[in-house]
Amino acid sequence: MARDKIYLEEVFPSPFMQLWSVFRKTPVAMAGICCFIFLVFLAIFGPMLAPYSPVDSNLDMILLPPAWHPEGNVSYLLGTDELGRDMLSRLMYGTSLTFGLSFIVVIISLVIGVIFGSLSALTKGMKSSFLNHFFDVVLSIPSLLLAIIIVAILGPGIGNTVWAIAIVFIPQFIHITRYAVKEEFRKDYVLASKLDGASNFRILYYSVFPNIVERLMSQATLAQSAAILDIATLGFLGLGAQIPLPEWGAILANGLERFYIAPWTVYLPGLAILFAVIATNLVGEGIRHALKVRKEN
Amino acid sequence: MLRFTFRRLSLFILTMFVLTIISFSLSFLFPGDAVINHSGQINATASELQILNTAYKTDENIVSQFFAYLQHILNGDLGQSMASQSPISSEIRLLLPATIELSLIALIISMTVGIPLGFIAAIKHEKLGDNVILSLAMLGYSIPVFWLGLLAIHHFSVNLGWLPSAGKLSLLFEIEFVTGIQFIDILLSDSPYKWQAFKDATLHILLPACVIAIAPATIFIRLSRTVMIEVLSASYIKAARAKGLSFNQIIFRHAIRNAMIKIIRHVGLQFANLVTIAMVTEVIFSWPGIGRWLIESIYQRDYTAIQGGLLVLSCFIFIVHILIDFIYAALNPLARGKKYGS
Repeated sequence: MARDKIYLEEVFPSPFMQLWSVFRKTPVAMAGICCFIFLVFLAIFGPMLAPYSPVDSNLDMILLPPAWHPEGNVSYLLGTDELGRDMLSRLMYGTSLTFGLSFIVVIISLVIGVIFGSLSALTKGMKSSFLNHFFDVVLSIPSLLLAIIIVAILGPGIGNTVWAIAIVFIPQFIHITRYAVKEEFRKDYVLASKLDGASNFRILYYSVFPNIVERLMSQATLAQSAAILDIATLGFLGLGAQIPLPEWGAILANGLERFYIAPWTVYLPGLAILFAVIATNLVGEGIRHALKVRKEN
Repeated sequence: MLRFTFRRLSLFILTMFVLTIISFSLSFLFPGDAVINHSGQINATASELQILNTAYKTDENIVSQFFAYLQHILNGDLGQSMASQSPISSEIRLLLPATIELSLIALIISMTVGIPLGFIAAIKHEKLGDNVILSLAMLGYSIPVFWLGLLAIHHFSVNLGWLPSAGKLSLLFEIEFVTGIQFIDILLSDSPYKWQAFKDATLHILLPACVIAIAPATIFIRLSRTVMIEVLSASYIKAARAKGLSFNQIIFRHAIRNAMIKIIRHVGLQFANLVTIAMVTEVIFSWPGIGRWLIESIYQRDYTAIQGGLLVLSCFIFIVHILIDFIYAALNPLARGKKYGS
């Protein structure tokens, strides 16, 4: 067969680019990543774009329904709550709290988990077995229960929630890193660099990590969707973000008393949480699908 | 099987030991004096405090303090609630059965709905049915449970008025507390309105149990779909097809049995997840269970109750976990020989 690019070097895309080329061809995953990028954008720039302050009350505009309702007001697009605070602004600020903080949670637990996971993968014998058992015990306590206990120790508040959920998520990252690193260390290319005289740390950093980074990413999206739900749940229970903060779960809990006269104060934050979790899950699902396809080829 | 039992039991004891260490160290992490956090006696006089100090051996080293604490727990003394000043073990005795009942019924619902749907998705792999079921599963997996609970109450209790929105039995019925599991208590009671009470209890449990069941059901859908696809591509299915068995025979006689074994293995892990969801749902539906009690005790800074609740709830989850491991090993002889963690 004639080759049309006779003078060009043949290009072998890097593993990451291969992944992206599969990912790009799945429309659902692309929709997910668009929503995800939109949320990231809102989390960063939302506070600047929001039309009103999320905490200042406006007693002339109490419990205004969304704009499409006959009694709605266009300048308050999604209506107002019982203190006349604009729902749209509150939800936009809430993006940087609920969604943005879930990012921070995942990054904290990812970094700590990967460090401990690779260390425990390199240890052997009694120490390793003890670590394994210990993390299995921690993993089988329900994550929200553990987070609630940690919040009880630290006291309620959004900062403490972040720490609590980050601590709760560390064991699963340790677990997955440990297994991934152990699996890679059995392969031939690691043996090759070992024969070249590379130290364990060097092998880990230059050879193993580039090969497991996608698996960690897929676990990170799973953890992030769980983190959004956990932050919102703790906010809803009154253990996370405290009263004036526009965290989605807290907004929802705030609207609870007036659910029957102002249902939008409950529907909208719930939909926001649902949207964020679905976007994250679609991205994760896309990565997992692309990983599977890449493995098959 | 004997070795397997022994290994599981030693794992259980080890796990409970680690849990009591965690619970013991919580007393020092919580604000306030460790002895008062252990015992919950906030209004203790000087002489009572003296007795407590000797009972929990606070003047000795940390190891003997831990064993003194362990001894109290083994004697069934979890201290008393700081808020109500009644013994925690008796409070838990009243509340835990309601949680067990709710979570087990939710588990049964999620399995009976999720597993067949997953099988259907696997049989229709990469067709319309598969995609529809998968999208539904994604939706159910992403929905925040407290929001779903509120929507369910709004729709089914307020707008339609079909189901009650709170509690576990109408106040009209007087049922004696025997086991704590509502349905068994009703059947044991000699009330003339037994069957009305039974119907009322069913209506009360239906909504919270369904709300809890949705997220685990979607996980069961994905799990059973993956397992079924794996089983259907195995050689023995090909052999069965080559023998000329009909589609129904292959599915019901070979595929489902083999797939079920692999699914049962994961039920234990899902149960921890389900109990977490149940805790939040109990708050929304005012279900008188241990989850709601635990969250309320956090509001009241009732540290002794938090410790006791953590211990009992995790213990319950582990027992279910290990029971499911036994069922798995009984069904699948291959699992018995495997070493833990290999």
